[in-house]
Amino acid sequence: METSNSEKIKPEQYLSELFGSYKAEWLEEKLYDLYTEPAYFPELVTPRPCLLLGGRGTGKTTVLRCLSYEGQFALSGQDSRRIPNWRYYGVYYRVNTNRVTSFEGPELQESEWTRLFAHYFNLLICDLLLQFLEWYQLHCSKSTSLSEKDCSRVGMSLNLQNVKNVTELAGKVDSLKIEFEAFINNVADGKTPLLSIQGAPIDTLIDSIIRLPQFQDKHFFILLDEYENLLDYQQKVINTLIKHSDKYSFKIGVRELGWRQRTTLNENEQLISPADYVRINITEDLSEEEFIKFALAACNARVSKVRDGDSTLISDISQMFPTLSEDDEAERLGVENEVRKIHDTLKNSVTPEDLSVFDNLNNLQAYFINYWSETENFGLEEAFKDFLINRSEWETRYQNYKYAVLFTLKRHKRGIRKYYSGWNVFIKLSARNIRYLLELVDHSLMLHLRKGENLSTVVSQETQTLAAQDVGKKNLSELEGLSVHGAKLTKMLLGLGRIFQVMAEDPIGHSPEVNQFYLSDEKASLIDIKDAEYQQLITSAIMHLALLRFPGSKLTDDGDTRNYDYMIHPIFAPFFVFSYRRKRKMKLLDYQLLELINKPKETIREILSQNNRSEKGELPDQLTLFTGFYSGNS
Amino acid sequence: MSFPINSRYLRGFIVEILDQPLFTDIYSNVEDFIPEQKAAYIFGTSVEERSNHLEYWKGRGHNLVLVPVVEINPTEISVEVNGNDTKVQLRSGEQLQRLMTSIGKDCIYLDITGISHHVWAPLLKVALQNCSNVIGVYVEPGDYRFSASPKEGEIFDLSERITGLSPIPGFLSLREPKEEVCFIPVLGFEGTRLSYLIEQVQPPGEKILPIIGVPGFRPEYPFFAYHGNQLPLTRSHAWRKVRYAIANCPFSLYYVLQDIASQYPDNFMKIAPIGTKPHALGAVLYKIVHNSDVELIYDHPIRKATRTKGTSRLLVYHISSFISPVCWS
Repeated sequence: METSNSEKIKPEQYLSELFGSYKAEWLEEKLYDLYTEPAYFPELVTPRPCLLLGGRGTGKTTVLRCLSYEGQFALSGQDSRRIPNWRYYGVYYRVNTNRVTSFEGPELQESEWTRLFAHYFNLLICDLLLQFLEWYQLHCSKSTSLSEKDCSRVGMSLNLQNVKNVTELAGKVDSLKIEFEAFINNVADGKTPLLSIQGAPIDTLIDSIIRLPQFQDKHFFILLDEYENLLDYQQKVINTLIKHSDKYSFKIGVRELGWRQRTTLNENEQLISPADYVRINITEDLSEEEFIKFALAACNARVSKVRDGDSTLISDISQMFPTLSEDDEAERLGVENEVRKIHDTLKNSVTPEDLSVFDNLNNLQAYFINYWSETENFGLEEAFKDFLINRSEWETRYQNYKYAVLFTLKRHKRGIRKYYSGWNVFIKLSARNIRYLLELVDHSLMLHLRKGENLSTVVSQETQTLAAQDVGKKNLSELEGLSVHGAKLTKMLLGLGRIFQVMAEDPIGHSPEVNQFYLSDEKASLIDIKDAEYQQLITSAIMHLALLRFPGSKLTDDGDTRNYDYMIHPIFAPFFVFSYRRKRKMKLLDYQLLELINKPKETIREILSQNNRSEKGELPDQLTLFTGFYSGNS
Repeated sequence: MSFPINSRYLRGFIVEILDQPLFTDIYSNVEDFIPEQKAAYIFGTSVEERSNHLEYWKGRGHNLVLVPVVEINPTEISVEVNGNDTKVQLRSGEQLQRLMTSIGKDCIYLDITGISHHVWAPLLKVALQNCSNVIGVYVEPGDYRFSASPKEGEIFDLSERITGLSPIPGFLSLREPKEEVCFIPVLGFEGTRLSYLIEQVQPPGEKILPIIGVPGFRPEYPFFAYHGNQLPLTRSHAWRKVRYAIANCPFSLYYVLQDIASQYPDNFMKIAPIGTKPHALGAVLYKIVHNSDVELIYDHPIRKATRTKGTSRLLVYHISSFISPVCWS
């Protein structure tokens, strides 16, 4: 971004560009400018194959692109003199669904498609490597010409004759791609061209490259992004290369559960971590502290670009988002009015001394006594007297429910029913997903500016809450288009969200802050859990971040859905209004998850009844859009 | 009542086609259309009323060879030529060529009304390679049975609407000869389909160049398109780059694509024809002519039996007459 333009452009336009472009793909060149190195980066640049596992928006693409030679060049300030000093060179490829899906169909057996795909992959990677050689020569003014013998060897591995130099090789590889494209477009004609052996041309080419003086002792990385887009057999093809390549290494970016095949083309040969590759789970392996540090650096790198003349407008983004203590939040939610009513009720039935004790309690605690008495069905006076006798017991009870009871103050009422504010709360809502955090910051600042505020004032808790609701709604609506199963995910999430919302506003007499579930097979006969629809739903929910999952107590098999605890991603908590804190879990029967999609109204009622609750009052304002769904008409 | 439009505001968004030759005959009444004799008429019938317009003239064609097409699977069709049923693989140049030989006519009508894109597109390509006169036919629907544009809060089930991303048979592109990419979604009403494609293609933010059909089959349709696609258009900021092409005119779309190509000469064009069928026809024609610079992106919708009702105008596109000068230019 040009600083010189900063005086002419409004801050919101800057912010929108800096924070609104959450996707690495949309940032283009700015990606490198805004890059913040994550804690796991050193592990990634070792010569070992790596599997970078993470949900949408966790930064896989950013990191992989920064490992590419184009990325390194941009990160090094486009300083050509530094290129020869790099320890590694990476070529980046994002798996293109529209292309890889053409390698299937009834015209051929899978074994034949396997050979064809392996050949295509050879062409693809050789092409990328040859482009790199051309780029290197252009930028370093140092010849990357392979010897005639080497060119001939690579050519022969691709069934090309008489290849004398790199330019000729690149031209002929391109021609092979054209011919191969024509062949696949007419695959039923059966005129299979000469195919290369899986991985052989890549091996031969890299072997030739690393014998050039400038590449001796250098590592070559093949950076494959969106591995989940590959068909199952195609993953096995690449797995085979990962297992057996020793001249270069793969760095794979994949969504959780997107690495569906763990074997090579030999069914008995598994890829095992850490023997065959290093597994980096971005969310799990990153500690809370590491994420906080990384997130703050990433956001501050962005806001440092927002300038007024020579000075930055925001020096520390975390200071822009003040939080509320529970007591302050209770005041905002109108606890004082409630307590006044309770005071009026008590004043006729307790002594002035006892009333004075009541009046000296903080409002939330005073409210809690009344709320407890109402839900546990004994009188206020009785409860208050019990409080006076057993204060320590009541104190423990209050501490256990203090946060949960905030959800009851405005229940069934219009407007904000619960606040979600503060930098640390935003960190929790994002659940270590940098894209979600950027969205929260972006929406909050935009709303703040739209309200006529400026960047020298902090963002109000109300604005933060409304922005967090918006972000939840945005991501809910985006689910529909993320995959062909998007509608089912949306319905499941709407169903679960409503259940946890109702449970949150009725906490007393139950475990507080229930916002997780585990799946039980109690009525297993009602569903086949190996059923494709059920499995797709769970897999899709995890891959697209509708749900988070955590290893349960009896973890055995990665694919067994019952060995995990699940939680709606906290980014949706402000939209549905329940606690974002990972606390307690409830039981959900396998079949109920599907029934939430097919019969939402009845199933929500059934699950709430299992948990001794029922739907009362109006939907929160932001959920009224989905009234049709909740009434069973959608 | 007329609404004067200040053309100054449209400059840059709409391609001037006033000076371009017309290649379309429009029949307000479907019954008025009778194809030329000594031709072949390739068509498919669906349960949609508009695909049955052949009934008006079928009995009157003396030398007209009717070639009904039935879709078997994503890469295979069954075709009846002179009473003989033949199965044709759509990813077989030889079988498609043999089909043209067996039809044996130099003038081919390709009625795209009742045939899916993945079938008519390869048929169009082989027809253009083999016949001197290829004519497209399309019948506009009278109306849509459902609310044309999904409302906010309505959940749009893609799995009931699309099969997923894969190349149209015969139109796979394995190369991207240009360094930069622009993504050109040709829009219908269903914004979730656009969201899905953006998610799959992941185009650079500034290079999403949507096209909306203006004028639409009906005056309100462009607004439906904006409304239905509001979320992805807003989130990607692509609303700022929208261009317009006449909704029932493949050639208008072709010219807009040509215009984009001239503005983005270093860009590989990824075109997603998810709007009207005439627009899809324009996109496929553009791909046929500019093969190496273009990739078609398609999500293969599953057609609903009762999607539309009634019949509106019938359009006849003189494709060969259009394509020849284009190829030479």
